Amino acid sequence: MFFKNYRAVLFVGAVILAALFLFSYGLKYDAGQSLVQRLALGAAAPVQKLFTLCVESVGNAWTRYIRLVGLEEENRKLKTEIGELEARMTLYRQGHLEAQRLQALLSLAEREPYRFIAARVIGREQAALAKTLWIDKGEAQGLKPGMPVMALPGLIGRLTNVSLHSARVQLLIDEGSSADVLVERTRQQGMLRGAGSRGCVIRYISKIQDVREGDVILTSGLSNIFPKGLLVGKVVHTDRADAGMFLNIRVAPFADFTSLEEVLVLAGEKKDPFRERKAAK
Amino acid sequence: MMYYILLPFMAVVLVVLQSKLAEILFSGLVTLELSLIVVIYAGFRLELWKGAALSLVVGLAMDCLSGSLLGLFTLLYVFIFLLAWFVSSQIDSQRLYLIAGFSLVCSAAESLALVLLYQWVFGFDMVDKILPVLAPQTLLVSVLSVCFFYAMRRVERLLAYG
Repeated sequence: MFFKNYRAVLFVGAVILAALFLFSYGLKYDAGQSLVQRLALGAAAPVQKLFTLCVESVGNAWTRYIRLVGLEEENRKLKTEIGELEARMTLYRQGHLEAQRLQALLSLAEREPYRFIAARVIGREQAALAKTLWIDKGEAQGLKPGMPVMALPGLIGRLTNVSLHSARVQLLIDEGSSADVLVERTRQQGMLRGAGSRGCVIRYISKIQDVREGDVILTSGLSNIFPKGLLVGKVVHTDRADAGMFLNIRVAPFADFTSLEEVLVLAGEKKDPFRERKAAK
Repeated sequence: MMYYILLPFMAVVLVVLQSKLAEILFSGLVTLELSLIVVIYAGFRLELWKGAALSLVVGLAMDCLSGSLLGLFTLLYVFIFLLAWFVSSQIDSQRLYLIAGFSLVCSAAESLALVLLYQWVFGFDMVDKILPVLAPQTLLVSVLSVCFFYAMRRVERLLAYG
């Protein structure tokens, strides 16, 4: 009966006594080697390992994530940098190519005894093959209709329409184009006509004349439009079987009309101080 | 019976968990004494037998795993549990601010007891650690006890009503 009534009190007392006993034992003998401590440490070790593993996994994942975020940022920066560098490289490459083209044009201008006006191609006729070009120079720069237009290595056409700051170039391959030419080797003269995608054809050279594939064609200078001796193209095909008196001669112009970017307009003869002085006398 | 069998393992897990959390969150500078909160909760919500056994075992686990003097935390936790058990008849555990206040008092008392006991037993002067270490620890226990009691209330409801 006594135990039943005071069970709680007794229990509390027992617990306090147990705690006090443990504490006093710890005070007197504790060296960290008691059985309870070893058992607790043994039980805690796997738990500790498990938690450490979890923490390390999470930590590693986090570190990897942070690194990935950093990498993503770095990747974005590098991509932007690559884009900028590529743009700059394209610019440089274009500049280099332009310099090469201009140098070639300059050599042409220096070689020929004419006064040239350099112009940039700003447009092309949207046909199967470009037959006319628009250039960025016009009357204001001294251009006039009919002026010959050259690009490496020779003649490409002539000006047809000239506005204040632009002009249209009729190319040699345009069906409406014509020029007096001669065969360099035999000095045979004929009329060069545009033939569109087939290049040009020469008319009015007799079948008895000796014209071969590979012969170079030059301007004859007979008309006042083109000066004599400008390179035009090369004979690629001759046909004698055709009915009629004249040879059917196909000429491939030297210039590539599809890739023209800069041209030279032949504005007149170069001023020769020696000749001028002689004329003045 | 299952409770008493699982209790030592759960106590070990709890002590390891709190030391690991303290290591992660505070780099080991402040102890995260979840075990004290559990003991206070036991005083309020568990039967005397179960709560006393819990405080005894958790205290013992703390003693064994924290490297303190054997029986020190056992004694402190038993006293704190008994205090909480007696107080539980006076304080409504639903009022969380009272729980926060009581936890603050218990934690402060524990810290003070630790300082005094260490000074008495080993002659360590731990007074300089009261402000930088023990004070934040006490506040932390107070705040966390509110969270713990709230969470456990939800769990109890869930278990009771589904």
